[in-house]
Amino acid sequence: MISLEKLNRSEALRYLGGAKTAPDEKMLALLDDCEEQIISRARPKYLYRELELPNDELVSGKDIARHLEGCTKAVIMCATLGTDIDKLIRVTQISDLARAVVLDSFASVAIEQVCDRAEQEISRLYPGYHMTFRFSPGYGDYPIQMQKYYINELDAQRKIGLSTNESYILVPAKSVTAVIGLSPEPIEPKKRGCAVCNMRATCQYRSRGEHCGF
Amino acid sequence: MDFKTLLKTREFVLLDGAMGTMIQKSGAKYDHSPETLNITEPKLIQSFHKAYIEAGADVVYSNTFGANSYKLENSGYTVEEIVGAGVQNAKTAAQGTGALVALDIGPVGMLLEPAGSLSFDEAYEYFKEQVIAGKDADLIVFETMTDLYELKAAVLAAKENSDLPVIATMTFEKNGRTFTGVSPASAAVTLEGLGVEAVGVNCSLGPDELEPIVAEMTRCTDLPLIVKANAGLPDPNSNEYSIMPDKFASCLENLLPYGVKIMGGCCGTTPDYIAQIKSMLVGKSFISCPRTADTTVCSPSTAVEINGPRIIGERINPTGKKQFQKALADHNIDYILTQALQQVSGGAEILDVNVGHPEIDEKAMMTAAVKAIQSVCDAPLQIDSTKPDVLAQGLRCYNGKPIVNSVNGEEKSLSSVLPLVKKYGASVVGLTLDENGIPKTAEGRFEIAERIVSRAEALGIDRRDVYIDCLTLTVSAEQDACRQTLEALHRVKTELGCKTCLGVSNISFGLPNRELVNSTFLTMALEEGLDLPIMNPNVASMTGAVRAFRVLRGIDKNSAEFISAYNDAAPAPKTDSKAEVDIFSAVCSGLKNEGAAATKEMLKTTDPMTIVNEMLIPALDKVGDDFEKSKIFLPQLIQSANTAQECFEVIKAHLSKSGGENVSKGKIILATVKGDIHDIGKNIVKVLLDNYGYTVVDLGRDVDPQLIVDTAVKQDIKMIGLSALMTTTLKSMEETIQLVRATKELQNPDGSSKCVVFVGGAVLTKDYAMKIGADYYCRDAKESVDTAKKVLG
Repeated sequence: MISLEKLNRSEALRYLGGAKTAPDEKMLALLDDCEEQIISRARPKYLYRELELPNDELVSGKDIARHLEGCTKAVIMCATLGTDIDKLIRVTQISDLARAVVLDSFASVAIEQVCDRAEQEISRLYPGYHMTFRFSPGYGDYPIQMQKYYINELDAQRKIGLSTNESYILVPAKSVTAVIGLSPEPIEPKKRGCAVCNMRATCQYRSRGEHCGF
Repeated sequence: MDFKTLLKTREFVLLDGAMGTMIQKSGAKYDHSPETLNITEPKLIQSFHKAYIEAGADVVYSNTFGANSYKLENSGYTVEEIVGAGVQNAKTAAQGTGALVALDIGPVGMLLEPAGSLSFDEAYEYFKEQVIAGKDADLIVFETMTDLYELKAAVLAAKENSDLPVIATMTFEKNGRTFTGVSPASAAVTLEGLGVEAVGVNCSLGPDELEPIVAEMTRCTDLPLIVKANAGLPDPNSNEYSIMPDKFASCLENLLPYGVKIMGGCCGTTPDYIAQIKSMLVGKSFISCPRTADTTVCSPSTAVEINGPRIIGERINPTGKKQFQKALADHNIDYILTQALQQVSGGAEILDVNVGHPEIDEKAMMTAAVKAIQSVCDAPLQIDSTKPDVLAQGLRCYNGKPIVNSVNGEEKSLSSVLPLVKKYGASVVGLTLDENGIPKTAEGRFEIAERIVSRAEALGIDRRDVYIDCLTLTVSAEQDACRQTLEALHRVKTELGCKTCLGVSNISFGLPNRELVNSTFLTMALEEGLDLPIMNPNVASMTGAVRAFRVLRGIDKNSAEFISAYNDAAPAPKTDSKAEVDIFSAVCSGLKNEGAAATKEMLKTTDPMTIVNEMLIPALDKVGDDFEKSKIFLPQLIQSANTAQECFEVIKAHLSKSGGENVSKGKIILATVKGDIHDIGKNIVKVLLDNYGYTVVDLGRDVDPQLIVDTAVKQDIKMIGLSALMTTTLKSMEETIQLVRATKELQNPDGSSKCVVFVGGAVLTKDYAMKIGADYYCRDAKESVDTAKKVLG
């Protein structure tokens, strides 16, 4: 099991509406408290596995195909913070919704940091390879239904307690599935961002003239 | 020989090792899942079973771990075919050897409510199908379970659809919990109650790491234990496991003193491991290990051993509470949850749940309440109803081992309630009254207690699980009543050896300073041996009396619990703090107590509606505007909304006192649609609507379309808000809207719809919202309020 020491606060604040003012004292105290609670209650775990390309089961749709262009291998991965975080957020919603919203943001930040950790580990395993960024079911035209494929291929339910429900929502909620492409040749930086994002029409960051970082 | 006889007559029962490892080593190829090999390569599967039997296995598990209809979807085979073939393969291999065949069943593959959205009943159906398909096996084993609720559905499916003996094992992590947080004690207590033949652990850890888990299990159960561990951890590169057969067997040897009787291997083990265990066991005898824990009730994560006084919180009960009754009528589950959390923080360790009210469907409400409380609260529950069918419902959907409140000495009660207690493995409160009412004397009550205990024991319910309530009567009406109650309690405790419980606060009815009388009576009862006071844990003197008693009696070792309860207790918040800020700035800064105080102050001089229209609404508009302009963060908006809510409560209380007009501007249903479990956005909308004066009927998340429509019809609600976060759940949003439109009761005489539907959620667009038939698309909580203003005024 890995542990998290610090969470990216500016990222969390962005999820919380990204106000252009500095948080006041009361808000800072709430942030400190919530960050600590997420760190102490999270039980981060991840799994990954190498696949040879081409792979028809993995590649579905043109966006993932473009993403993995030129790659000879792919690593599929999944990560979760565990069920306790979901419960913490659920319970807190009853007594203090404002706090729950902050916990929720930090948990979203935390799961990304866990993925970063997994990605670093993977990159050490493949010296001489170039890696794409993480691409997940639901990005572009990559079907969200692919979640089930990742869960099964990684035996994630048995190994880290991660599954999907019948709507292909990951359970626990603070979890990620993703694929990283590996290429022996340098990878032309893929166009990340709004153009390939299926949230572009409704994105609150975009509407504020900002960018989510994808 | 059948399994039960095997268990009784043998010192040890040897299980097989891993099936998956054998398949992997053989290099066999399969299309969909390893279970399909039962049909495509029966000889191969039979050869694995044979190898285990030759190595000494008394029982082999069929190759059917994931053979349920969810996992077999798209495999081209039915559950009946795969399970039937799997059991048949094992039987063919076992023929003539005396080995038995266990129908092997693993988790469904989806998480159950509340973490996931698979319902208890749906899980039951998956298991039922497997149990029926595997009827030719000698026993049923459920293994690698991480969710106690799923395992309960599985065991019930087995018990209700088969006569085969059942054994069950769960998978624990290094921290001593399963992925979903189940403790070994809770697993042992619950499963023993449900009537399995043996409990234990499999998979996940090596046998060298299992000692603390096995020790905790055996402490709370008389059942023999099962250990079917992994061969240590796999090497990520070679996939070889770290513990060799001889080490594996010697680790198991270390676990024998904990009452381990049934052994085998999980991932990474092979026939060599089984052969090693067999030779390790030569000449050894089973070490029986009866429980040392006292009677225990539990939720999945928390086992409460009744080895000293434990407080049962009484507040979840509508009797005599207008607000509670209204909450029930409005299906306001949050109200109940707040009561639950408050009691736990006050010091309750078990919560009584009573939702009996003439205007509601008590069965449905009991289910909803039990599930909702268990989703946020770890305290075990006491299912409280006068109706056996409501008790049955509560017991079925409860996760863990609950208490039933109650049975009494009447024949009708004994014969209807006790079988339920037995079936679901609960504890039960026995009231010392019968057809003739409450006996006046201690002797009379003791006799009824004896009768209840003997009837319970006749059904196989242990007397340690019967908690006798000698009934508190009002001392102002009859002064001797107190003495009779305490004497009966003392006799039940010492002569019957039963635990006792008592509702405390009745004693003081009709007297002044009731709290003083109550806490004195409580202390007296504790001294006579009261184990389970049923009381209001939020009365500090009462909870304090129990805590102090535990210290003085030496139950609370080193006064640890007492110190942690009182050491850094914050000074009580000033309830009547003088207003220092005005309402407007209290709302803008999100200061709840100050806002309430300022409202009280202002009500002395100002008309309530003026406060609402000239202070509260403008303040809310300002923070809403600030949020839109990125001047404040989301939690600040919510804190402001909560403060406004607090002010509204003060105004409502004032109005109901002075009999003034109702401030509600109309009712709105909110729900996150079926299949979707993200509800934080919906909850933010709720807070804002609440505080603009709308009455929100919050149906929660993963809500069935029919419930939404039924609620709208029943409560005559004209506005429905639906939320969905995922593209995959937009479908159920559309279905919900279609159902609303198709419901006759929600149409005007001209066929147009009476209900306005507004929708929101991250993946929705205005176009899509219109396409699926919504009336309004709301980008955020603020827009929902604007829409409500437009529609309801």
